[in-house]
Amino acid sequence: MKHALDTVTAWLARGVIAFLYIPIIVVVVLSFNDSEITYKWDGFSTRWYGKLADNTELLAALQVSAEVALISATLATACGLLAAMGMARLRGKGKAIFSGGLFLPLIIPEIVLGVALLSVFGAMSADLGMTTLVLGHLVVTLPYAALIVLGAYNALDSSLPEAATDLGCNAWQAFRRVTLPLLRQPLLAAWLLCFTISFGNIVMSTFTNGVGSTTLPLRVYSMLKGGLTPEINALGTLLVLFTLLIILGVGLRQMRRVLVGADRS
Amino acid sequence: MTTALLAPAGLTVVGLVLVPLLLVVRNSFASADSYGGIQGGFTLANYQDLLDPIYLKVFGYSLGMAGLNTMVCLVLGYVVSYYLASRPPQRQMLLLLLIILPFWTDFLVRTFAWINLLSPGGPVNSLTDAIGFTDGPSQWIPSQGASFIGLVYAFLPTAIFPIYASLRGVDNSLGEAARDLGCGWWRVHSRVLLPIARPGMLAAALLTFIPTLGVFVIPVLLGGGRDQLVGNLIVTLYTEFRNQPMGAAASVVLLLLMVASMAVFGLAARRLRRKTA
Repeated sequence: MKHALDTVTAWLARGVIAFLYIPIIVVVVLSFNDSEITYKWDGFSTRWYGKLADNTELLAALQVSAEVALISATLATACGLLAAMGMARLRGKGKAIFSGGLFLPLIIPEIVLGVALLSVFGAMSADLGMTTLVLGHLVVTLPYAALIVLGAYNALDSSLPEAATDLGCNAWQAFRRVTLPLLRQPLLAAWLLCFTISFGNIVMSTFTNGVGSTTLPLRVYSMLKGGLTPEINALGTLLVLFTLLIILGVGLRQMRRVLVGADRS
Repeated sequence: MTTALLAPAGLTVVGLVLVPLLLVVRNSFASADSYGGIQGGFTLANYQDLLDPIYLKVFGYSLGMAGLNTMVCLVLGYVVSYYLASRPPQRQMLLLLLIILPFWTDFLVRTFAWINLLSPGGPVNSLTDAIGFTDGPSQWIPSQGASFIGLVYAFLPTAIFPIYASLRGVDNSLGEAARDLGCGWWRVHSRVLLPIARPGMLAAALLTFIPTLGVFVIPVLLGGGRDQLVGNLIVTLYTEFRNQPMGAAASVVLLLLMVASMAVFGLAARRLRRKTA
């Protein structure tokens, strides 16, 4: 028999899920609000999206973010793949130390990682800009790329590339024709997630951006300090849509593996 | 060959994480030049300056907010995870997808969404007016409460995943068996399910508590910038006061808080295990 408290907690859980959605839905709805005042409904309009397209500062920031995310996601995924292949050859202590270092940025507060990088760039008197942004985002995204690729690489049947080698492939051919195609999906998932993480990053960017390399979140953050506008709601709606597309691209199964581990059944 | 494969990631970790962290520790003991840059030398003055009541208040407030946020996220996270885990598999997938979307939604979007909701005359206010809870526009934002809601909202999905991960493998019949053997609702949870969820709860606590300390966007946008977290302090010291040595000292303190909280949570989990074993 079902306990009354089971019913209560089930409703509480449904309430929490609603709590997760209401703010997002409100952003989407209000982005179509004709009124200048974001939260007072005054009829349907798409004019804020038009205004968004005319905001050159915002578009410039969008370009910076897209470039940084593109490069850092690619670097992180490549480093993650190479690390996974290298780690498969390590044993014992060396493997433990390497993986400890690799996942270290996951536990250290991001703000400290940002401060640390800024200190190094300062000590080297490096100019802050695209390069420092990309390096900062590489630090933030690499552990996630490694997490996904490592899991997939270890689950790979190692007899397959071995069979290719036995059949006369050299190491590169075995990698290019067997290993890589088998890892296509997890690599794509890793890349997409790294892209998303980099694209939305604000903490690391605060410390590693320079003049002329303001990212989209930094631009939006400074706009928000002056108050929320319907235009920002419109941008938020586009970002929600973008997230939805990324999730579909990664695939639910892969996403579940990343977030809650492999299937036990 | 192995070295070549490990080199890119290894160099990233050493060159962009480990060495920079050591430099921060070094800088925290350096004295500042007149522009707030690093001058070198060795002094404890930066740490002494952090003992000023203004800064101590920031650390106290941060620990309180992070603690409260962690507690709320753990309780709600457990409730949602239990609900998810007790649904049929197909349903679980769908519900999980529902939690994944807000989790990956842009952090800033999830923060400014609350400005819409909590503004005077906004959706929440209209609702409370309608049920007679309030009368006319209410100034809920910026406030500590709004800041706290923003924090819970930001970290709740993060807390749900690890707890659900530890509960989802559990056979539903386990709880039923305990019930058949005469366990009440509370005992089914406290003696059977919570111990199983413990590693997930521990992970969720760490993933909530430590990052909350370093948040700076939410207190500015939803809290009006008055009540600061350690994250705000570090950003202010670096970008506004331009006092790098002191900013470095505050960062080292944050690292120490991280280590301390890991030890405390680990210990708490071990004690719980002994109690329920």
